Amino acid sequence: MPEVTKVPPVWTTGWTDILNTGTWRSATPGHQNRLSPCQTACPVGAEIAVWVKQAKEGQYQEAWLTLAANNPFPAVTGRVCHHPCEGSCNRGEYDAAVTINALEQFIADLALQEGWSLPAPADKRDMRVAVIGGGPAGLSCAYQLRMAGAEVTVFEAQPELGGVLRYGIPAYRLSKEIVAGEIKRLLAAGIKVQTNVKVDAQKLAELQKEYSAVCIAIGAPKAKLPPPFSGNEPGVLNGLQFLLDVNRAQVPELGQHVLVIGGGSVAMDVARTARRLGKEVQVMSLEDRQSMPAQEEEVLEAFEEGIVLLDGAMVQEKVKENNRFKLTCVKVTLDATAPAGVFKPIVQPGTEFNLVADTVIVAAGQDPELADFSASLPVNNNLLTVDANQNTGQAGIFACGDVASNERFVSMAIGAGKRAARRIEAFCLGRQPGDGAAAETEPVAYKEINTFYFPMTPRKEKEVLNPELRQQDFREVKLAFAASDAQTQAERCFSCGHCIQCDNCFYYCPDMAIIKDAMSEPSYSILDQYCKGCGLCVEECPRGVIVLKEVKR
Amino acid sequence: MINVALQIAEEKIFCSGHHACPGCNEALAFRYIMNTLGKDTIAVVPPSCGAIISGPQPLSSMRIPVYQTTLEASAASAAGIKRALKAQGKDHVQVVAIAGDGGTYDIGFQALSSAAERNEDIIYICMDNEGYMNTGAQKSSSTPYLAYTTSTPGGKPTAKKNVAEIMAAHRIPYMATATTGYLDDLANKVRKAKEIKGMRFIVILVPCLDGWGVADNEGAKVSRLAVQTGFFPLYEVENGTKYTLNHGSEGIPVAAYINRQKRFRHLAPEQVESIQQRVDADWEIFKTKFNS
Repeated sequence: MPEVTKVPPVWTTGWTDILNTGTWRSATPGHQNRLSPCQTACPVGAEIAVWVKQAKEGQYQEAWLTLAANNPFPAVTGRVCHHPCEGSCNRGEYDAAVTINALEQFIADLALQEGWSLPAPADKRDMRVAVIGGGPAGLSCAYQLRMAGAEVTVFEAQPELGGVLRYGIPAYRLSKEIVAGEIKRLLAAGIKVQTNVKVDAQKLAELQKEYSAVCIAIGAPKAKLPPPFSGNEPGVLNGLQFLLDVNRAQVPELGQHVLVIGGGSVAMDVARTARRLGKEVQVMSLEDRQSMPAQEEEVLEAFEEGIVLLDGAMVQEKVKENNRFKLTCVKVTLDATAPAGVFKPIVQPGTEFNLVADTVIVAAGQDPELADFSASLPVNNNLLTVDANQNTGQAGIFACGDVASNERFVSMAIGAGKRAARRIEAFCLGRQPGDGAAAETEPVAYKEINTFYFPMTPRKEKEVLNPELRQQDFREVKLAFAASDAQTQAERCFSCGHCIQCDNCFYYCPDMAIIKDAMSEPSYSILDQYCKGCGLCVEECPRGVIVLKEVKR
Repeated sequence: MINVALQIAEEKIFCSGHHACPGCNEALAFRYIMNTLGKDTIAVVPPSCGAIISGPQPLSSMRIPVYQTTLEASAASAAGIKRALKAQGKDHVQVVAIAGDGGTYDIGFQALSSAAERNEDIIYICMDNEGYMNTGAQKSSSTPYLAYTTSTPGGKPTAKKNVAEIMAAHRIPYMATATTGYLDDLANKVRKAKEIKGMRFIVILVPCLDGWGVADNEGAKVSRLAVQTGFFPLYEVENGTKYTLNHGSEGIPVAAYINRQKRFRHLAPEQVESIQQRVDADWEIFKTKFNS
């Protein structure tokens, strides 16, 4: 019987891992953080995918700091932002957009409750800036400059800071404690304030001498008066002035029947405020219901509160009788060929109707008050003219917000303030502005999302107070999320273009050519020796973080 | 989100540098089979893509002994090795046969059926890419109805053989179907098979990128569509009677699946419709097997 020889422990002469299958490759995958569509759409350029991810992980304070880096008023915008982010959310093409606005409110309210403070400003640098106007644009600009180490003074005409946040938007949409809380926290960063100071041409010249740069952010407080109404007429009120008075608890005499003229957010604010004062309210807008500039949900909420809308109509004649207006009105269509911002109503003959009103409140748009500046600064179309750098053309004088733009949204103003601050910083330090802007790339598209990894989950809206309760007083109409809602809604975020270390790329590689190292950034690297460039990791990345690039040899 | 991390140990039994095509789903399946079975395993591989991937001599991509047997004999060879191990008192070593659909549905079927009937203590895994892809994409009895292969240029006139039901009918302890688009499910089934004694059979649908005409990056996506359209449901059968459905039809039209594959691009709309009708009819019959 032959002796049993020992079986060799290794049956081959080696393993395939000495081979270089990477030489087959014609394309290489690479991990990179990419822009999410919500961030591209955001007026303040907030890193939404980042803070929602932090919220998803329960890191609420970090999430708030990310929010606050671009916007000192997240509790304000969490309530009143028109949230274009949600309109561009990739998840909207799948089941329903992520409730970004409600999440923002949840995190920002938590910050106020917990008393989290803003990070310390950068070390002092040689920048002294005067900001004229303490509304959202001016304060945003002041905040960004202060954080960059500037010495900033804000000049405000009213007794208190806040502009439209305090004196315009009614409390049922934006609680005044919230506004006060966020402004107080902002001022703690060391911004100087002079209230009750109206800056005129002479004062502007002084500021120009005293400061290295001036930013004009005085808003647009002057009501447009469509015919047949004129200023200083008894029974005719200016919408903004009305909101200001109510916000200061100085309610004017209105009578029982109120007609509001205008189709934008201010008209809705005025109508719903008058309704809360117990009045019968009708709103008349030149635009028809579909093209009214007011946000859809405001209009729906106004209807629920019993407000009547007369869309596509205007007042032709007015007669005052027994202290009441007798109004002859007519249905109109708008001339679509008119240039943007210009209204050319076309009367539809035979559609005349009559109305009676005790008070008419005009809220048909606002213009800036430019009498003091038009001599020294360029004005066009009732706006201060600025270039892409928010510069007025005069060295060191910048402008932002409603005074220089027709995009009349709070978050647009905050975004413009931030942009102006970056330019002012560059101006003061003698640098070229506009560095960061060139790096912008296309955001992650819906087709780059692998929806297999995202089970459909319902979107939850903010709860809305019932219409009866709403009409009783000025309590907030929209209710903040509970913590559990915030968590489940944050988890709906695709995190487009932002790696959350799900390891899918690692697991789906047939060649084991991806290694993970949670400590490094990005957390994965490609093994050149083995990667065959198939792109399976690119396809299986749920969120479009991996990009395949052609190999040039 | 896949949860493979909780289900498998990355033991690196299967290593890089193997000669599978870029994006190969069979290689992906190998990774999860081998790493789940672990180092106390001997593999038996007949001629197939798997032989290329696990070989070639003198190199190997698998850090375990691999025996390359004849195309007919995978199940018999595996059964013999397992019996020899048992005789040596090494019952803890698993023996796994990994064959293609040609080596399972057609050429190796006699040996497989007999091993199942004897309830041999082996795991038999069929890497089902629906044709003889290794030799240039000829038809096998696994090729689906109307699919193009080089030997059925006008489309295969007959249906795909239902090997899962045939094997379940042997009343073996464990039969399962799996695919690469559901890696956690796949790894879970291999782990479950490892813990059962007797004959275990898993058929894994592995899209062949070249043979099916699928983009290099879309293998997993296409395999998922096979499941979601009801073409290839993922399920388990224990002892021939206990059925469990893991992932089945989500009502997605089969066109979503076949439109991503060049092997179906010659089809007229009414032929696509006839495939849809067959899949729907099969799914109706199939549903009755589950007691839920």
